[in-house]
Amino acid sequence: MTVALPGAAAHPRPYLGRIGTRGRERLINLAAYLMLLVAIAIVFFPLAWMLTVSVRPNIEVMRMPPEWLPQVFTLEGYRKIFASKRYLVVFLNTMVVSLVVTALSLVLGAMAAYALARFKFAGQRAVLMFLITTQMFPLVLLCIPYFRIFITLGLYDTRTSLIVVYLTFTLPFCILMLRSYFINIPRDIEEAAMVDGCSRLGAIFRTLVPMSYPAFIGAGLYTFLLAWNEFLFAVVLIESWENRVLTMAIYSLMAEFVTDWNTMMAFSVLASLPLVMAFIFLQKFMVQGMTAGALTS
Amino acid sequence: MLLTLKRKYREELLAASFLWPSLLILVALLIYPLIDVVRLSFHDSNLQREVWVGFGNYIALANDPLFWRAFWQTVVFTFFSVLLHLVIGLGLALLLNMNLDPAFRTVARGLLIVPWLLAPTVAGMIWVLMLQPFGVLNGLLASLGIIDTNSTISWLGDPSTALGSVTAMNVWRAFPFFMVMLLAGLQAIPKQLYEAAEIDGASLFRQFWHITLPQLRSVITTIVLLDSIWTFRAFDPVYVMTGGGPAHSSEVLATAIYFDGFQKLKFGYASAEAVVMFIVLFIVSAIYVRRTMSNQQ
Repeated sequence: MTVALPGAAAHPRPYLGRIGTRGRERLINLAAYLMLLVAIAIVFFPLAWMLTVSVRPNIEVMRMPPEWLPQVFTLEGYRKIFASKRYLVVFLNTMVVSLVVTALSLVLGAMAAYALARFKFAGQRAVLMFLITTQMFPLVLLCIPYFRIFITLGLYDTRTSLIVVYLTFTLPFCILMLRSYFINIPRDIEEAAMVDGCSRLGAIFRTLVPMSYPAFIGAGLYTFLLAWNEFLFAVVLIESWENRVLTMAIYSLMAEFVTDWNTMMAFSVLASLPLVMAFIFLQKFMVQGMTAGALTS
Repeated sequence: MLLTLKRKYREELLAASFLWPSLLILVALLIYPLIDVVRLSFHDSNLQREVWVGFGNYIALANDPLFWRAFWQTVVFTFFSVLLHLVIGLGLALLLNMNLDPAFRTVARGLLIVPWLLAPTVAGMIWVLMLQPFGVLNGLLASLGIIDTNSTISWLGDPSTALGSVTAMNVWRAFPFFMVMLLAGLQAIPKQLYEAAEIDGASLFRQFWHITLPQLRSVITTIVLLDSIWTFRAFDPVYVMTGGGPAHSSEVLATAIYFDGFQKLKFGYASAEAVVMFIVLFIVSAIYVRRTMSNQQ
């Protein structure tokens, strides 16, 4: 895992000779630790600010010079959210939409990925090329036709429309990621299971699926993240509050009460919490998903 | 002979039946709307009526200073976002790749990824709060003595700083993607290369220039292409933070298309803008797809 520090070998430079190789290596390492800590502090500052604002009264937020720590601690912002059905329904909607999108993408994606990984057929290259291109589609281009289509179909302002539309970007990602994982699993293992009397489908479920669980977790989490954070389609396709998802609700809160920062930041904290928690527990898989997502080869 | 033929067809049939659900969905969700938006771009349409205008929308577009302004601002936003993502991501990846305690490395990497997990909407809201005239950034600058408490800057309300502020937020939000990808790339470089360079007495900088950078070149090209595409089509950061204003000073193509379509109800005109955006992205995507496909051989 760790690549040896370049420059840490047995040839001390004359100009650093006095502190020796050991000392020099230690010094460079210390600097690395320090710089990383500074970077973490800078990167975390906006997040820390979000957290502290979510637990202060609003009059404290815009004070000049700023109070770094809350002078009065209040959970008023969180209370407002949990006391109101109006806000809770938004969390529920987002959860339902994201979960359904993830499940659909994984099932349909795994099937397509299997076909692409195990069979040779005419047009395979074209299909792959199409899938890679879809990840780069300008989504705003699709808004106008979707808006028209869903009005015609009577699906405008429904959660169903969001679920369907999110597949445009989650499904190709799942297919590509699962395919690159399946390719690296030897097909002998399935064939052995088939020799032992499994049908092809049985063999897939008993060997390939269990063996690919890291890919399923990685792709599933990444898909969930994409769906949970999506904003553009939620703006264009949803009208009524009952069908809103988080990102859109937070945005309309900003327009609604410009000064109610603690409620908005409480909302933001709650909206980010599920993803951050999932990431803490499943960091390894998620980083895999992130890496594989971009370099599907 | 007959048997192998039959087997081949059976395989193709199985592959097709696994593949068609996904392909059908993606064609319906991507190809049909694409055709529809191209068709609409030749019409004058406000959803109620559709009048054929030929290239009228495109001619109007070419003569619209606001469109060209949005176009160049998108290019500027993309260029600086991607450049800073690369510089910051590479710097942090190099630090994380040094001879650190493995537990510290995991925790540091995990913490530094968090901004990337947030919804762009949420990240945008946090920065809107921080960048208020009486927000914490001005407070910080004032307490450092850089600006006067009475002449605070309205970062998002001033045309000269709006686009820069949105870019800063986007840099903060998305650098972790580069960091993770480049760290994975760094860890794949064989250490022997550095050991050999060390024996030849190459300095750290020369090792970086002659080993690290060339070895990372393919990863860098890939993520720069991907991020350029993603940033060029970005909607959420701009829409949430400034809505393209003040006075169009932070307008990008995605928000311009949205406002022309859904606020001004000029759907034909917005479609023409979307087609231009698609053509630009398609060219970059084609380069990316060629690279990815050739890696696959």
